Amino acid sequence: MSAVATTLNVMQHAFRAGIADYRAIFTWKSWLAGWYVRVLAQVAFFALIGERLGDDEKTYYLLVGNSLLIAAQVGVFSLNMTSAERWAGTLPLLVASPSSPVVVFSARGAYLAIDGSLSALGALFIAGPLFGMDLPWPRVLAVVPLTLLVGLASYGFGTFLAGIVFRYRSINSLVVVTTYVSLMAACGVNVPLSYYPEPLELLARFLPLTNGLLAIRGVFAGLPAVEIVGNAALELAVGFGWMTAALMSFNRLASRGRRDGSLDFGA
Amino acid sequence: MEAVEVEEITRVFEPRRRSGTRVVALDEVSLTVPTGEIHGLLGPNGAGKTTLVKILSTVLLPTSGKARVLGHDVVDETEAVRPLIGIVFGGERGLYWRLSGRQNLEYWGALYKLSSREAKERAQQLLERVGMADKADERVEEYSRGMKQRLHLARGLMGDGKVLFLDEPTTGMDPLAAREFRALIGELRDEGRTILLATHDMVEAEMVCDRVTLIDRGKVIATESPRTLGQVLSRFQRIDVEGVPLVVLDEIRAIRGVASVTAVDGVGTRIEVDEEGATQLVLERLVSAGATSVRTSLPSLEEVYVQLIGERGMEI
Ligand SMILES: Nc1ncnc2c1ncn2[C@@H]1O[C@H](COP(=O)(O)OP(=O)(O)OP(=O)(O)O)[C@@H](O)[C@H]1O
Ligand SMILES: [Mg+2]
Repeated sequence: MSAVATTLNVMQHAFRAGIADYRAIFTWKSWLAGWYVRVLAQVAFFALIGERLGDDEKTYYLLVGNSLLIAAQVGVFSLNMTSAERWAGTLPLLVASPSSPVVVFSARGAYLAIDGSLSALGALFIAGPLFGMDLPWPRVLAVVPLTLLVGLASYGFGTFLAGIVFRYRSINSLVVVTTYVSLMAACGVNVPLSYYPEPLELLARFLPLTNGLLAIRGVFAGLPAVEIVGNAALELAVGFGWMTAALMSFNRLASRGRRDGSLDFGA
Repeated sequence: MEAVEVEEITRVFEPRRRSGTRVVALDEVSLTVPTGEIHGLLGPNGAGKTTLVKILSTVLLPTSGKARVLGHDVVDETEAVRPLIGIVFGGERGLYWRLSGRQNLEYWGALYKLSSREAKERAQQLLERVGMADKADERVEEYSRGMKQRLHLARGLMGDGKVLFLDEPTTGMDPLAAREFRALIGELRDEGRTILLATHDMVEAEMVCDRVTLIDRGKVIATESPRTLGQVLSRFQRIDVEGVPLVVLDEIRAIRGVASVTAVDGVGTRIEVDEEGATQLVLERLVSAGATSVRTSLPSLEEVYVQLIGERGMEI
């Protein structure tokens, strides 16, 4: 097989391994009852706050933002992927194989991007109409790929964090909490970016939710396509950047492990 | 071409914390394994076996020295080495517990660059070979320890490696499974593969290996034929016994080939024998004296080392 074909084949298997992990946790029923209901409740909670303020615009703002936040948060869960790998004790075997562990990590948690996007879309398209938001057909279809984009970009970011957490195990929960809070607070979920000082706004642009969310708000607001595409391209670039950084850090992790002996057989 | 060449490999682990100590895990180790040999790497805990296996399988760098697998340097030519080797280590890790056995194998097949069809076929063959075909589609988390071990072996063979590194592969197997496993190692050699088997089990080393390198505290002590090892094992025996009158013990002490008779806390009396045939005489005398609870056991690896080294006048 060609190099590209073997790489895709590894990604496909790694992706399926991730799905199997997930299916061991969730069945369709438990996903709907345990997870999805929670997602709806969370989004509805924020939308209700908007209603309390007696302002449709605020309601929809919160509804869209908090729906998309779900896609980002689930995507970022991929940072747990390496702990799973460490627990399985497979890392030295991956390093000793003819394929790069990096390829595995690029696909192993990708189901999270899909899960997050589906959850977000499900929340948006169910809670939205319930709160009287109208979904401008067919424009609204653009929200689907944009949401997936947010999911994927967040997955890239999560994979990057996974590399950090792998090396500095002790700060695992700190990383998780910080990420969660920054996504919620800094990416324009509940308040517009302009609310913050400019440097912070610039920083927020590097997080994997900010630009995608702006693009999606643009779809609902009927902004010109150029503006939407512009933000979408930024989101793509941010996701790509984080994923590249992630893969580089995994490469470094492997070569460091070879030097200091931290790639342990089964230990 | 030699399958494995190790030339004066040293590996030092620097302390991670300031209070830690520096460990010389391998100290100028050299050894050669010709193609088609089952070579044992025998040593007690901490001898450096795993360290050497890791270096040869490209997941650890040596501090100094050179090592080659089928002519390729394990430090600089990893891309050439990795497709040629298979790795199996003991214990239950190194598998994805939420995948089935078959899925695990197919996953590793992809990593070893097999097409999906090839991977499917080889997975099926290997599952049959290690006796796991009927459990192939159950999740690994439902496997017993020994089953995980067998799957691990199959996993190590997915890449069709010409040189196999087995690090304590029978830990956790019951005696029957371990025996089947050893038979399988023989078959793998007959297929032309070279096997480096790290173990601290002398009996295992004696049974399956063509040659055995004894290592201790990072140094090679000797490379022996398993026959020599077997002779040592059959000559040196340990007999533990309780409630034997002192007179009888004195008689036993006088038997030729009895090296020592000592009282050992919690055991009773320990009799050590260092000549073939003496064990039988001792046992006969004990039985006729009406002794109950007689147990014989093999000497420890350390004791065998001491004997071998003593005989050769070597120094550690
Ligand atoms: N990553 C590491 N960092 C520090 N010291 C290490 C590391 N790996 C091994 N050592 C030390 O090197 C020595 C040799 O260890 P190694 O694991 O090679 O022994 P072994 O012969 O495989 O023993 P065992 O029978 O217990 O598996 C030991 O003293 C061990 O503590
Ligand atoms: Mg070991």
